[in-house]
Amino acid sequence: MATPSGASTEDKRSYYLYLIPGAIGFIAIVLLPQIANFALSFTAWKGVGTPRFVGLQNYEKLLTDGQFWGSMSHTLLFVISMTIIPVVLGLVLAALLFDYIRDEFGETVSSLFRAAFYLPQILPITAAGVLWGWIFNPVGVVNIILRAPGLDGLAQNWLGDATYALPAVSLVIVWIQVGYCLVVFMAGLSRIDPALYEAAELDGAGWWQRLVTITIPLLAPEIFVVVLTTLIAALKVFAPIFVLTAGGPDNATLVPSYLTYYHFFTTQRVGYAASIAVVQTILTIGLAVIFLRFQSSQAGKE
Amino acid sequence: MKLSTLAMAIGAMVLTSGMAHAQDKTFNIWWFEDAVSAQGITWTKALEEFKANHPDVTVNFEQKTFAQLQASGSMILNSDQAPDVLEYNKGNATAGLVASQGLLQSLDDAYTAQGWDKILNEGQLALSRYSDVGVYGSGPIWGISTYGEYVSAFYNIDMFEKAGLKVPTTLEELTADFEAFKAAGVTPLALGGADTSGQHVLASLAYTKADDTWVQNYQGLKAPLDTAPYLFAAQTMVDWVAKGYVSKDSTGIKDPDAALQFTSGKAPIYISGTWNLGNFSSSIKDFKWGQFLVPTPKYSVGSTGNLWVVPKGSKNPDLAQEWISLLLSPKYQTEQANNGGVSIAADAATVTNPVGQNASAVFKEIADKQGLGFYPDWPVPGFYDVLIQKVAGLLQGTLTPDQFVGELKTTYDDAQANQ
Repeated sequence: MATPSGASTEDKRSYYLYLIPGAIGFIAIVLLPQIANFALSFTAWKGVGTPRFVGLQNYEKLLTDGQFWGSMSHTLLFVISMTIIPVVLGLVLAALLFDYIRDEFGETVSSLFRAAFYLPQILPITAAGVLWGWIFNPVGVVNIILRAPGLDGLAQNWLGDATYALPAVSLVIVWIQVGYCLVVFMAGLSRIDPALYEAAELDGAGWWQRLVTITIPLLAPEIFVVVLTTLIAALKVFAPIFVLTAGGPDNATLVPSYLTYYHFFTTQRVGYAASIAVVQTILTIGLAVIFLRFQSSQAGKE
Repeated sequence: MKLSTLAMAIGAMVLTSGMAHAQDKTFNIWWFEDAVSAQGITWTKALEEFKANHPDVTVNFEQKTFAQLQASGSMILNSDQAPDVLEYNKGNATAGLVASQGLLQSLDDAYTAQGWDKILNEGQLALSRYSDVGVYGSGPIWGISTYGEYVSAFYNIDMFEKAGLKVPTTLEELTADFEAFKAAGVTPLALGGADTSGQHVLASLAYTKADDTWVQNYQGLKAPLDTAPYLFAAQTMVDWVAKGYVSKDSTGIKDPDAALQFTSGKAPIYISGTWNLGNFSSSIKDFKWGQFLVPTPKYSVGSTGNLWVVPKGSKNPDLAQEWISLLLSPKYQTEQANNGGVSIAADAATVTNPVGQNASAVFKEIADKQGLGFYPDWPVPGFYDVLIQKVAGLLQGTLTPDQFVGELKTTYDDAQANQ
C-alpha cells in the first residue's frame, strides 16, 4: 500500500494525535507494569510494605528451582497442544468444511460445523473447565462411558494421575484452540480464487493434492498469524490449568504463569514471582521476534 | 462537548457525590462464610438486627470467598477500598502479615471496653494476637473470632450399626472398622486427594505421634522439621490406599465430590472440618450421622475460627466493634449453635440443635485440654498448596513416604531458616 503522496509532513504529524489514546493505554496497562515488574524482580517483597533490594538473588534461585524448570518443560508440551495440533487440525478441518462439506452438504451444514468448532472459544474458560473437571472425574462421564462396554482397563484417574493429567489438560486445550484456528483459516480460504481449485480439479488433482499445493501455500499469511498468536498463548497458558488441576497432581501440570501466581499470591514471594514473569516475558518476546523475522523473510521471497 | 460544559459537568458530579457523602453514613461489611453455613445464616440474621438498630446508617454487605482474601486480601487492605469491618483469614501468612504491616486497628482497648474479656479466654486469643513480625500467639489483639472449628471423622451411623461396628477410640480400632467395611465391599473413607482434606487426614494422623514439643516447634517454626510424625502419617495413608480403605482415584477428587460420596451414603466415613456441618445437616435426609475425633493422645486439627478485623482505614471503628459484640452475644452464639455451628460461647442449656450442641461441646472439650493443634499449613506461607501437591503425589504413588517427608522438610526448613 502506497502512502498518500499528496500529504505534507504537517498533515502526517497531525495523524500522531490519533495515536495518543492507544499510547496512553499501552503505557498504563503494558509498559509501566512491565517496568515495575522488572524492578520488583530484583527485590524481596511480600506484596505490602517496602520492597528490599536483593540484586540477582531471585534469578540465582530460579536456576536451581526444580519447580520452575519443570514448568518450563511442560510449556513445551503445551506448545504442541496449543499450537501444533490445533493448527494442523484447524487447517485440515477448514479445508474439509470449505471445499468438501460445503460442496456436498451445502452452506448451512458447513456453517453449523464452523459454529460448533468455534463454540469453545466463546464459552467462559472457567465454566468450560469446571465441566471438563466433572467429565474427567474418576466417577465422571468419560469413565462411565468406558466402563459401560466393559473397558474398565481404559478408565483412568484422568486429572489425578501424573501420567494422564497433562494429556487430559492438553485435550481440553486442543478443544478450545481448534475453533480459533479454523475460523481464521476459513476466512483466509474465502480469499483464494476458486478458479485455482477448478483448474487443479480439471487437471485431476485430488483433495489432498489441492490442500498441499494450493491451500497451504496461499494460506501462509494466516498460518503465520495463527501460529504466532497461539504460540504466545501457549507460553502464558494459565486459566485451564488453574481451573482443571491447579498445577497438580504433585506439580505434574505446573506452568510458569501458575508458578508466578502461586508465588505472588500464596507464598508472598512477590519479587521471586516477578523474576519468573520476567524470564517468561523475555522468552515470549524473543520467540515472537524470531518468528516475525522469519515471516518477513518468507514474505520477501514471494 | 465544549470544554467549559465538560468542566461544569465534572464539577456538578463532584458536588453531588460530596453531598451524598455528607448525608448518609455508610458501613461496609464483608465476610466469606457461605450463605448456607451456620455462620452465614447467623450473621445474616444478626446483620438484620444491626441494620434495625441503626436506621440512619446504610449498611453495605459484600459476600467474598475464602480464596479471594487468601490471594489478594493484603492488597485490598492496603488500598482505600477496604471495608469498615471484615472477616479475615487467620494465621501468620494472612492476618499476621497485614497486622505486622500496620493495616489493621488494634482491638486491645475494645477487648476490655466491650466486655469481650468476659466471654473469651486467653487460649481462644492465640490466633487473635500477632507479634510485630506477624507471628501469632503474642502481641496486640488484631482480630476476634466468634466461632470454632475442628477436623473430625463424620460417620454414617446407619452403616456402622448395620455392620455391627463401634465408634473407634484408638487408631487400631479405626483400622479394624476400615477393614470390616472393606471386607464387605465398601471403600470406607471418602477422601478429596486433590484438595484440602488430604492434608487434614495427614495432620490428624501425624498428631497421633505428636507431643507438646513437636506441635509447638512445628507451629512456631522453632526448629527444623522433625519428620517422624509425618513419616508415620504418610506410611499410614499409603497403607490405607494399598489396602483399599481409600480409593487410588482420590487424587482426582476434590472435597465437594468426596463429601458427596459421604452424603449420598456411598462412603461411611469422611474426615474433614466442621465447616461441613451446615451442608450435612441440610442435605443428609436418609441416614443418621455423627462425628468422632480421629483418636489422638491430645491434639486435634482445629482452631478458633477466622477473625473479624477492623482495617486501618475503617471510618466506623465503633460500629465495627458493636458488630463484633453482637456476634459474641449469647443470643447469636446460641443462634449459631442452633444453626449447626461451632459456637465459642454458647449456653449449652439453650441450644436445641443436637448437631450444634455436640459440635460446640466437642470444641470446648478440645479447647479446654489445650488440644487445638491448628492446621498443618500454617507455619509456612504457601505450605497449603505444597501439602496438596505432595499428598497427591503420595497417594498416587509417585512419592514414597520417605521422599514425601523429605520434600516437606526441604520447604519447611527453608522457611524456618529464612524467617
